[in-house]
Amino acid sequence: MSGSDGREIYRVVWPRGARTVQASNVAPRLSTLEGKTIGQLWDDLFRGDEIFPILEEELGRRFPGVRFVRYDTFGSTHGRHEGKVLAELPEMLRRHQVDAVISGMAC
Amino acid sequence: MLRASAVAERAGVPTASLVCEGFIGQAATTSTGLGLPGLATALVPGHVDVQSPDELRRNVAAVTVDAVIRNLTEAPAAVGGAVVEPGPNDIVFEGTFDEVNRYYYENDWSDGLPIVPPTPDRVAEFLRFCDRPPQTELGVLLPDKRRATVGNVAVNGVMAGCRPEYMPILVALVEAMADPRYGVEHSGNTPGAETLIILNGPLIKELGFNYEQGALRDGIQANTSIGRFWRLYLRNVAGFLHHRTDKGTFGNTWRVVLAENEDVLRRIGWPTIADDEGVSGGNAVTISRYTGGGVIASVFGNTPVQMLPYLADAIVGKVGWELLFTVGMGVGSQRPLLILSPILAETLAKGGVDKVALKRRLFELARIPAAKLEKYVGEWTNFVPGRPKLTDLVKAGHIPAVFAESDDPQRPVPLVCRAEDLMVAVSGDPLRTNAYAFAHNGILGYPTTKAVRLPADWARLLREARAR
Repeated sequence: MSGSDGREIYRVVWPRGARTVQASNVAPRLSTLEGKTIGQLWDDLFRGDEIFPILEEELGRRFPGVRFVRYDTFGSTHGRHEGKVLAELPEMLRRHQVDAVISGMAC
Repeated sequence: MLRASAVAERAGVPTASLVCEGFIGQAATTSTGLGLPGLATALVPGHVDVQSPDELRRNVAAVTVDAVIRNLTEAPAAVGGAVVEPGPNDIVFEGTFDEVNRYYYENDWSDGLPIVPPTPDRVAEFLRFCDRPPQTELGVLLPDKRRATVGNVAVNGVMAGCRPEYMPILVALVEAMADPRYGVEHSGNTPGAETLIILNGPLIKELGFNYEQGALRDGIQANTSIGRFWRLYLRNVAGFLHHRTDKGTFGNTWRVVLAENEDVLRRIGWPTIADDEGVSGGNAVTISRYTGGGVIASVFGNTPVQMLPYLADAIVGKVGWELLFTVGMGVGSQRPLLILSPILAETLAKGGVDKVALKRRLFELARIPAAKLEKYVGEWTNFVPGRPKLTDLVKAGHIPAVFAESDDPQRPVPLVCRAEDLMVAVSGDPLRTNAYAFAHNGILGYPTTKAVRLPADWARLLREARAR
């Protein structure tokens, strides 16, 4: 097909693929962290082993009764066991009665 | 890390994701791909690896803690509604060559070089070279979680400047890309590793691939355009884009396809890369990601004994922090690649070394002091939590005993867990004594091989294509 100036006109298609997930809402938030159980998820990278203790200390000071389930309870969320760890995660969160999660580290 | 957060959110548990300053944008894009655009992130100022313990504590206490609390107790801001996207056969634009190119570039659908406009007619030409219908799903690719199909393979093949008869290779490549063993979701990681495609089989000659001088140089249509296709597909279907999901600190341009010199391999009785990876007897592609590599120039010697120390030393020189994939994250997934020019392979074979023996000798020779390996994965990169000694990892059963044959910190230890983890290919200038070593990216692009399926009437289609 040519345009009015004689140059060829191309009708072209989309190079992408259909998205397979629809956007959904995140989980409901908590009213307070007081007395709650927070699970720690870690990908074994970028000083999470130093950062989680700081968070524990700071959150513990502000929210009485807050409790933590350490990252090594769940296993590394990155690496050769990622698939297995993530497949088991919902059950692990239930088993440890986790109310909220802190997940690190993206660096 | 965000994938873990997404699983928790879907299980009904609110999350706070700890994200360093340079990764906030990537986190937002990745969250959208995961279908949870409201995924909450807690900023960690700067980059943690260059902060003193006191600085880290101050930053976390002053900034991150409050963000974590907000993430877990405040509903995220509403995110805009779903974007309606075109269908696979929709005409998205009409215009001249220049206008099409500008439109695709402005929509992030091209790499900055001119593309061949993907018109329905051109796409149909590609589809003739595949027996499967265009809507056939080849997999779902992260981070965008988009559907890889025969149809969008053809579209991107057209754009990359491929010929229609390359289509069976393109389809096999996307099947490999979608294989969980490969780990396409890691393609935007910060070391910026790039995939190398290795081709084996009769298609090397049938389609005119270069497998001799300049084997890794652009300039031959088959090798070059298929390399370009790979990165266009990562962009358009997987969804890796500069400054968003692709966080390669430096990165590099896509690599052209490496075709092996199978004449030489047959003559010396060595298996091909595809044979080594368990896909024998036909055409096959093998993909793997490499953080870098370099030439090993002028290998001198007429016996394996003379030649192997230099080759082994070069492999040692190319592999450093990647040893994380030997003894840390993804234990045993480190697969360095050595490419020998034909004359080197033939000289080694003449000296009585077959490929198995070659790998075994390189396994024994390519070694570094245990203390240095521990520095790479511990003190220098902080990659393995707790910085265990190799002896501790052996005791715990995580790595083979070869890493703890004594407790001498200077004892030589291998770069890989098993001799067969080393990969050896043969290509390049047949009569020059150079080799090339690639450093591998472990589980973040693990070697994955797929057979290439030809259409039933391949011979006729190829004849027609050659006549055009």
